[in-house]
Amino acid sequence: MAPPLRNDGNDGTDAQKRSPGRRSLLAGVSALGAVGALGAAGCTRVATASDNGGDLLDRLKAQGVVRLGIAGEIPFGYIDKNGELTGEAPELAKVIFKRLGVDRVQPVPTEFGSLIPGLNSQQFDVVSAGMYINPERCQQVVFADPDYQMLDAFIVRKGNPKGLHDYKDVVAKKARFATGTGYAEIQYAVEAGYKESDILIVPDQVAGLNAVEAGRVDVFAGTALTTREVARKSRKAESTKPFTPLVKGKPHVDGGGFAFRSAETRLRDAFNVELKKLKASGELFRILRPFGFTRAEMTDMTAKELCRG
Amino acid sequence: MNWDWGAVRDFMPHFWDGLLVTLQALALGSVISFALGLVWALLMRAPTRWVRWPVGVLTEFIRNTPLLVQLFFLFYVLPEWNITFSALTTGVVAIGLHYSTYTMQVYRAGIEGVPAGQWEAATALNLPLRRTWTAVILPQAIRRVVPALGNYVISMLKDTPMLMAITVLEMLGEARLYSQEHFQFTEPLTVIGVAFILISYPASLLLRALERRLVR
Repeated sequence: MAPPLRNDGNDGTDAQKRSPGRRSLLAGVSALGAVGALGAAGCTRVATASDNGGDLLDRLKAQGVVRLGIAGEIPFGYIDKNGELTGEAPELAKVIFKRLGVDRVQPVPTEFGSLIPGLNSQQFDVVSAGMYINPERCQQVVFADPDYQMLDAFIVRKGNPKGLHDYKDVVAKKARFATGTGYAEIQYAVEAGYKESDILIVPDQVAGLNAVEAGRVDVFAGTALTTREVARKSRKAESTKPFTPLVKGKPHVDGGGFAFRSAETRLRDAFNVELKKLKASGELFRILRPFGFTRAEMTDMTAKELCRG
Repeated sequence: MNWDWGAVRDFMPHFWDGLLVTLQALALGSVISFALGLVWALLMRAPTRWVRWPVGVLTEFIRNTPLLVQLFFLFYVLPEWNITFSALTTGVVAIGLHYSTYTMQVYRAGIEGVPAGQWEAATALNLPLRRTWTAVILPQAIRRVVPALGNYVISMLKDTPMLMAITVLEMLGEARLYSQEHFQFTEPLTVIGVAFILISYPASLLLRALERRLVR
């Protein structure tokens, strides 16, 4: 906002001289609006024209580029120090899409919580952020089979002064709990009996680390790998040992994978075929290993199982 | 697009929580900005430049940097030096501080608008400086600027969604949280949009009425 008091006292005559200019400006703006509306209409048509498995793969092949939605989360999908797209999911995407006949990948960075809405509003073609597959998300998008399985872990202050090792501890010791926007960990904490409105929701894992370091919360929950990576450089915080969250009283292992728009099942199936080959040949592990994944994180679970919850 | 009244109903409890936080931030932010703005305005009239210059530099700096950046700075950078406030406190302080640099100019205009004759009369009556300010100048100055201050309250209301960036769950924050859980964006965002109109439009009508009564 401009500073107040800018009455220069010559409004009358000047405004009259300027008014034709304003009118044409208005016309220009409304013309722009019309173009925008047309463009939007075009997009909707593309989105709804796919009721037989979708033709996205053909279009991607023709374009030669696929847009990947990433959430800037190390090691799943992020832009590295050299400005290059990397991470477990993008590296895997590069390999698989090349085999599907799409040569280039283009990152679209966004917030984790905006990945599914962004996918469904055509901001990008695939969610490539190692997203956990769970029933709620399966209602919005379709998932390829998981490329890894994962446990949860906490970021706590150095030495874990409150002795927090899983969600039960958080509830029992009345710890202040934080996690990220749209994270599956929100639900795990609620299942363990934590009051949902008391959860502090931060934009990402770095903000979570910051909240623990600043003492705003006692604990931040994320995937075992993320918390380990983000807490590594911290002098005031550390990550806890990975643990298995409980869902409906049963231990639950999470699996993460690629998400596609619900209509694009053909692309998802083609992706699954290539992923399966990579798993069988052991290539998948070679791609994921540089990002801190171990053999324990390789998985045979399917998206179908995980969607059932 | 399909409209789901069920989603509106489910969102409403969250909405009331958000509204409460928004109004808290607005009320406290207004109080801080009104008080601090007057302090700045009076300090800028100090006889020595050793007061005027630092205050001028500080307020220009605050006014010419974005509120969002200030929020991030207070919330994420200050804790590095072990200064930590809760999210809402940070937000209230940031908004109050930011807007105090605007209200300061409003007060200045009000003070300068008091006719010179009033100062002369106060001198003629041999009023002490303190009493000149509290009994003669400020009552007239503030009366003139109440509508302008009110405009900044409305403006502040419209800036409260920025607090979402520092994890304060005001109306927009609640709407986003709800949307990301249930993947329904239209209903919660529409509800808070309507809420903003329902608050700010009557407020501006009230201000117009106030203006008619106070400024002659």
